[in-house]
Amino acid sequence: MADAKTHNPIRIDPETCVKCNLCDWICPGDIIYKEEDNRETLPVIRYPDECWYCGLCQSICPTSAIDIIFPEQMVRNRTDVVSLLGKVPE
Amino acid sequence: MQENWTTIDTDVLVVGGGVAGSMAAIPALEAGLKVVICEKGKVLDHCGSIGCGVDHYLTVMDTGPEWDTPEFLIRHVPELTDYIVDTAVASRVIREMPRIFRKLESFGIDFKDRETGDYYRLRSFGLPGTYHINFDGTDFKKQIGERVRKGKATVLMRTMVLQLLARDNRAYGGIAFNFRTGEWYAIRARAVVLAAGDVNRISKNASGLAFDSWHFPYDTGDAHAMGYRSGAMLANMESVEATLTPKGFSCQGLNALVSLGAYFVNRRGERFMFKYDRKGENARRAVIADAAINEYLLGNGPVHLDCRHLPQDMLDRMEHTLQVDRYTLPAFYKQKGVNFREELVEISISELSIRRSGVYFRGSGLAVDVNGETSIEALFAAGDCATVSGGIAGAAVLGHIAGEGSVRRMRESHGALPAIDMAAAAAMRAESANHLESAGSMSWKELEDATRQTVTDYVGVRRTDKGLRLALDTLGALAQREPALKADDLHGLMRVHEAKNIRLNAELMATASLARRETRTGSSHMRLDYPKTDEQNWRKFVIVERGSDGPRVRTLSTDRPLADAFARSVQTA
Repeated sequence: MADAKTHNPIRIDPETCVKCNLCDWICPGDIIYKEEDNRETLPVIRYPDECWYCGLCQSICPTSAIDIIFPEQMVRNRTDVVSLLGKVPE
Repeated sequence: MQENWTTIDTDVLVVGGGVAGSMAAIPALEAGLKVVICEKGKVLDHCGSIGCGVDHYLTVMDTGPEWDTPEFLIRHVPELTDYIVDTAVASRVIREMPRIFRKLESFGIDFKDRETGDYYRLRSFGLPGTYHINFDGTDFKKQIGERVRKGKATVLMRTMVLQLLARDNRAYGGIAFNFRTGEWYAIRARAVVLAAGDVNRISKNASGLAFDSWHFPYDTGDAHAMGYRSGAMLANMESVEATLTPKGFSCQGLNALVSLGAYFVNRRGERFMFKYDRKGENARRAVIADAAINEYLLGNGPVHLDCRHLPQDMLDRMEHTLQVDRYTLPAFYKQKGVNFREELVEISISELSIRRSGVYFRGSGLAVDVNGETSIEALFAAGDCATVSGGIAGAAVLGHIAGEGSVRRMRESHGALPAIDMAAAAAMRAESANHLESAGSMSWKELEDATRQTVTDYVGVRRTDKGLRLALDTLGALAQREPALKADDLHGLMRVHEAKNIRLNAELMATASLARRETRTGSSHMRLDYPKTDEQNWRKFVIVERGSDGPRVRTLSTDRPLADAFARSVQTA
């Protein structure tokens, strides 16, 4: 399981969430866990660092309670692309 | 009934409920057969790499003009694949395209443009005609999934198949587990279809986030690994695929960009694609990626996407199309504060995947015959894990072919299925359970990170004999540590098995890359020590199979279908 410092991309508004289970049902990565048949508990983003940023949870949410937030390393990326293009061994 | 096992007997077992798997299930269901589908996702409507939607579909339609006939496209296949292709299988797929396209339409999929009521067909990726239908495929997969549900297939969700059941070079089922409930399945079947997609999470990308990948990160080469372990023949594993993505977010969309007229420019504002291919941005994906890689290596980066010259109606279509393929792309641009209509967007090379090396009809994976059957009898493969792959259309068509093939194979098979060797199954399960119980020294994330770093450094886009051997040493050492992998929970156990499959696929890729002593299709297989394409000696497939102490490699001429080398009797279509 991811630790507390891990960026959580899936923000669920507890006020508007109707605790319906659809986000758990649709997530292709098995990341969102929602206790079934319990209208009291909120969904839990159990494995936030395994998110694909597909937004299926957001698209299916009946009350638009979900926002997808991209982390800094995605929106303001500073990686040198050449570092991804392999090394030539001596 | 075995204790603590759910045993199922079925006619066809399908591994993976994406487009290829679902399309394979459909003819089997239509023939009245029992079908079990194992799927790591939870709903057929949205699983697989196009669970979110798809914005284009490649097909010949046979509407009259010569370019729209299967035979015309077939004639161009050798050139499109740089001559490494199983022509027999690719030809069957292309000839079946119009039939499967009409069948998809009969499911209620609307390929027509909402405004004009006609097909909006575009040319892209070096294809010799406007074969790509641009359409709103948000519900494409939903309609296929619905058809499978109506056929009353048994669908086991959140379930990963770990191992095939095979005896005497014949497949008869698989062992699977549900990573939500911990339920274990021993499934016997008269035919098995592997449709578990491509291999992702295998190299690094700009964001450094393993699951930020252009293709579906939950496709981890499970079919390749399972097939290999059972002795199936794999081909083209040396070819890697990359694309161009907005820097920081590996997402789909290159087809929409290039087919609608976007440009790519380098640091100096030069539209450089024409230096690499006379078709410019309309070249094959492999060429586009290779061109950008070269520009970066030449110090001409950063590369930018330039849409500023496009008319408003084209930009509107582009904006709409891009979010069909990846729903969150507009949100990414918004958070980034970039308006792609008016500004340049910085572009990165995506992570690499093992798929179809940026060209159509040359897949990397399980060798199949014209019926989609692998070198193991009654074991079929389709989609991005098979040696003929062509995106969504390829998955739909070969999937359907494999489904029909499995119906024929199943009708031919007589007698009882072999009894499952439950002692062997229990041993495999105990080995898996060890990951949950052991105070293991390594997490699946560490194994994957080490694999990705090795692939990025030495197996990626610049290969040498020395680098590949270094990589094989590292990957071999990592394999030794796999028994000590630790899983915190059932979900983690699923990831442990995925990580092992990714590492194995990296080893197969490095092994095949070492064998092909030439360069072909640019950065798809770039050997710095053999920088030329050697048409004299290397119009060959590199074959990888399981040997007694690791992968065994041989080559086969591309003059003959791969199936000619199968150690089983091959059916005729």
